[in-house]
Amino acid sequence: MPRTRMVIIGLDGMPFGLMHKFAQDGTMPNFGELVRHGTFRQMASSLPEISSVAWSSIITGKNPGEHGVFGFTDIAPGTYRLTFPNFRSLQAIPFWEREDAGRSIIINVPMTFPAREMNGVLIAGFVALDLERATWPPSLLPLLHKLDYRVDVDSQKAHQSLGLFLQDLAETLQARIAAYRHLWHHEEWDTFMLVFTGTDRLAHFLWDAYEDSQHRFHQDFVSHFQQIDQIIGEIASSLQPGDRLLMLSDHGFEKVKQNVFINFALQEHGFLSFEKNSRPSLRTITEDTQAFALDPGRIYLHLQNRFPRGGVKNNDKESLLRDLESLFRSLEFKGERVIKRIYRCEEIYYGDQTYRAPDLVLLSQAGYNLRGNMRPSTLFSQDIFTGKHSQEDAFLLIWGDAPPTTQKTITVSDIVPIMDQLRGG
Amino acid sequence: MKLHNADKTCWNCPAIDLAGKVDFRACGQSVESFQKNLPEDSDVLIMAECKRRPELGLFDPMSITFEECPEWIESPYGYMLKDMRVMILGIDGYLGWTLALWLGSLGFQVSGIDNYARRMWLMEQGADTVVPIAMMPERLEVAKQVLGQEINFRRMDISARSQLREFIADVQPEAIVHYAECPSAPFSMIDAEHAIEVQRNNVLGTLGLLFIIRDTVPESALLKLGTMGEYGTPLTGRPIFEGMFPADAVLRWDNREWSLGGELTPRDPVSFYHVSKVQDTFNVYESCKYWWLRSYDIMQGVIYGVHTPQLAADPRLRTRLDIDEWFGTVINRFVAQAIVGIPLTIYGAGEQVRGFIGLRDAMQCMTRLIVSPPEPGQYGVVNQMSGYYSIRELAEKVARVGRREFGLDVKIQRVENPRVEADRHPFEPIFENLPKQFGFEPQVSPEDEIYRMFELLTQPHIRKRIQQMMYHIVPRTWWTGEHRRVKTIELIEPDQEVIGGDGHGAKPSKYTQPSPALTKE
Repeated sequence: MPRTRMVIIGLDGMPFGLMHKFAQDGTMPNFGELVRHGTFRQMASSLPEISSVAWSSIITGKNPGEHGVFGFTDIAPGTYRLTFPNFRSLQAIPFWEREDAGRSIIINVPMTFPAREMNGVLIAGFVALDLERATWPPSLLPLLHKLDYRVDVDSQKAHQSLGLFLQDLAETLQARIAAYRHLWHHEEWDTFMLVFTGTDRLAHFLWDAYEDSQHRFHQDFVSHFQQIDQIIGEIASSLQPGDRLLMLSDHGFEKVKQNVFINFALQEHGFLSFEKNSRPSLRTITEDTQAFALDPGRIYLHLQNRFPRGGVKNNDKESLLRDLESLFRSLEFKGERVIKRIYRCEEIYYGDQTYRAPDLVLLSQAGYNLRGNMRPSTLFSQDIFTGKHSQEDAFLLIWGDAPPTTQKTITVSDIVPIMDQLRGG
Repeated sequence: MKLHNADKTCWNCPAIDLAGKVDFRACGQSVESFQKNLPEDSDVLIMAECKRRPELGLFDPMSITFEECPEWIESPYGYMLKDMRVMILGIDGYLGWTLALWLGSLGFQVSGIDNYARRMWLMEQGADTVVPIAMMPERLEVAKQVLGQEINFRRMDISARSQLREFIADVQPEAIVHYAECPSAPFSMIDAEHAIEVQRNNVLGTLGLLFIIRDTVPESALLKLGTMGEYGTPLTGRPIFEGMFPADAVLRWDNREWSLGGELTPRDPVSFYHVSKVQDTFNVYESCKYWWLRSYDIMQGVIYGVHTPQLAADPRLRTRLDIDEWFGTVINRFVAQAIVGIPLTIYGAGEQVRGFIGLRDAMQCMTRLIVSPPEPGQYGVVNQMSGYYSIRELAEKVARVGRREFGLDVKIQRVENPRVEADRHPFEPIFENLPKQFGFEPQVSPEDEIYRMFELLTQPHIRKRIQQMMYHIVPRTWWTGEHRRVKTIELIEPDQEVIGGDGHGAKPSKYTQPSPALTKE
C-alpha cells in the first residue's frame, strides 16, 4: 500500500477570524473550497505566542519545556548572556528527522536556520542570516540565487516607505512561489511543507489596512492573500488520491492599542534597577533586582541559584511571585486592565528544559502588545506597528476527513500527533 | 584595579562575526543593513557569533565583557585576546620592527609585510641607517633564535592589492597596524617626483587597504599611523583636540550658535607628506562611515629613541635609526650631531613647539590600543604623545646629557628655516584619550631616552657610520624648491640655566643607569 503523502501549508500569523472571513467573502475562493470539504478550527498558539516558540511546537509536537525554545531571545544558563535560539538550540527533533519520516520538502518554516542534513530539501525560514546556511542540500543554492529567493522581506523598507515594503513583499512571495513550484515538480516527497511568512510581516505593519476598507493599502493587503489563495488552489488541484492536506497558522493577529513596556513597570515599582552610568541591559542589572522581563511578557525572577548576581532566595520566591502577579493585575490603560492572564511556569511547561523557562508568562488583553525592552522611557506607547500577535485564535484546516478528537482546544503542539493519525489512518 | 578595557564587550572584539540584525518588535524581522544610530529604546538587536567560541551560538555581542570572556586574559596593558593575530604593514621600519618584537614578546601572533621602500628611499639619497640592520630573513632568524618569536613575513608592496588581499585573507589578522607609509616631510618636498611618490604610496596604498579590509576582515581593527603634524599649529591658539571637537565645543557667528561636538577639527598640514596623512584621515573616516570599519587614527607626536627590552636583547635585533635630513627625527638627529661635533641645528628661532613620544611609550600606547579595539563604525583618534617641548628646549636637553654624562662639547646653532612654518606660535595640544581611556602612563622621559641613545650611538662602529653620514644631516631641501645647505644664523652656547627646562612631559628618572644590554654591542 503506497505511503500517505502529506502536504502542509502554513500562513504565519493568520487568525481564524480573518481566514474565516476571506473564505466566506470570496477573497480566498480556493481556501473556501477546502473549508467546505474539511474541518476548520480555531487553534491555540504557544505561550508566549511567538513564532519561534509556536513553530518549534508545530514541527516537534512538543511543549516549550521539552523543545527548549521560549522566545526569540533567551538567557544562557548561569549568565546574563542574551542569546538567540535557532535550529541548533531545538532540543527535540522535527517530524521530518524521525526515522519513519520518508523524504520531505520543507520550505520557509521559521526557526529552522541553520539548515542541516536531512532526507530531502530544507530552505529555512526566519530568522535566517544568509541563504547559504539556510539551504539543504547546498546544491540547491544556484537555483535559489537564480530565482532571487529571499528568506524574508526587509522590514527596514517599511520604516522608509510602506510602498517599498509592499514591493519587496511581493517580490519575496514570487520568488518563494517559484521555488515551491520547482521543488513540487522536480522532487520526490512524502511530506511537502510550505510556509508563507509575508502574511505576518504584512499584518504587523498594515493590520489597520486590513480593518479599514478605505485604507490606501487595503487592496494591497487583500491582494497578498489572493495570490496565496491561487497557490492553495494550484496545490489542491494537483494532489494525488490519498494525499492529505493540512493548513495552519502559528498564532493569530489583532490590532495594537498600546505597547506595554513591562520592564518600565518593574523599574517603577522597585523590582528592577540597573547599574548607574551604564547602558541598561541584562548585563547591567543590579544585585537588588528581583525580576525582569524578556519579550513579550516573559518574567524571570532574579534567583540566587539561577543568576550570578541574583539575590532572590528560593524561600522568598512565592511571596515575590504574588507581589509581581499583583502588580501585573493592577496595570491599566485608561481604566482598562492590560493583563488578561498570568501563567506560572509549572502551569504551562513540562519537560527537561523547564529549568530554562521564565517564571511567569503574561497574556495580555486584546490589543495590548507586551514588550520586554530594557530601555523603555514610558509604560505605554505606540509605534509604526499596527498589528500584534494573539494567542487563542490561530487556525487549523484538515482537508477531508479529520481524525476524531474530543479535545475542546487544539494547540500547536497537537499538529504532529494529528499528522500521525492522518498518515496512519 | 579594574583594567582599562574590562567593560568592553564582544561588540568591540575582532573575534566576533556580526551575523545580522533583527527587529524583534515585529516577530524577528531581519534587518539587512547595519545602522549606526539606533534609538536608545530600540528593539533592534545585533546578533553575533564568536569565531573562537562557536559553541555560544548566536548572542547579543554586548552581553559579554572582556573581563568575563575566557579568550581575553590579563596583561600589563589590559585584557588581551589570547594569541591575537596582529599584522604590521611596514614591519621592516623603525616602528614596525620594534612593535613586531614587542608584541611577539607579549604572546601576539605577529605577521607583516614590507617592500623595503624605506631602505630604497634612503639609498637613493646616499643615506643609510646609522644603527646597522640586516635584511629581513636574517632579522627573522635572530628573532626566532634569541626571542623565540615566529614572525610571518612577506616581502610585499602595500599597493600590490591582490597579493595583500590574499595574505590578509590567509592570516585573518584581528588587528592591522598600518606603518607602511613614507614618513618624511622633507622627502615629499624635494621635487614633483618625490611629492607624487609620497602621496601615491601613502594615499593610494591606504585607500586600497581599506577596500581589502572591507572585503576580507571587516571585524579587524585598523590602527593607522597619522601625525600631530596634520593639525598644524593654529595661530589662534585654540586647543588641538584629538581629531574631533569635544561635545561642548560651540561655533558662534552672526549672533547664532552651533554645536561642533563630534565634527572633525580643521587640519592644516605643513608639507605634501602631511597632506597625504590628512587625505588618509578622510579616507579612513569615510570607510568607517560607509562600511562600519573600525579604526584608530594615531596622531603620533615626534618619535625618538632606540630602546625597548627586545631591541636591546641582541645587536642583531636593533631597529633602524635615521639621522639624515629626510628621515631623521629631531631628537635622534640632535644626538647624532652631538656625537660627531656638529652644533645642533635648530630652525629659525627654534621656538617651534611639538608633541613628542619615546619609542617605548609609543609601543605601550600601540599595545593598549590593539587590546581595546574600536567599535564597528568607530573612527577613533588619539593624540599619541607624552609631552611637548620647544625645539630649543630639546636641544638644550641633548646638550646637557651629552656634556655632563658623555663629556662631549655640544653646541647649538640657529640656522635658516628651510620650511614654511611659524617658528613662534601658541600650542595647546589635548592628549587625554590615551591616559584616560586606555590607561597609558608615560614611562620614558626625554632625558632617559637621550641617555640611552648616547650610550648606543657612541659605540665606535655606530659613531663611524654617523661620521660617514655627516653630509646628510644639515638640511638642503627647502619648501620653496631651492636645494642648498641652510646657513648658520647664530652659534649658541647651551644655556646651563635653561637646561632641563620645564617642558610638559615625563620627568627624567633613571637615565644615569646604564643599559645592561649595551655590553653585548
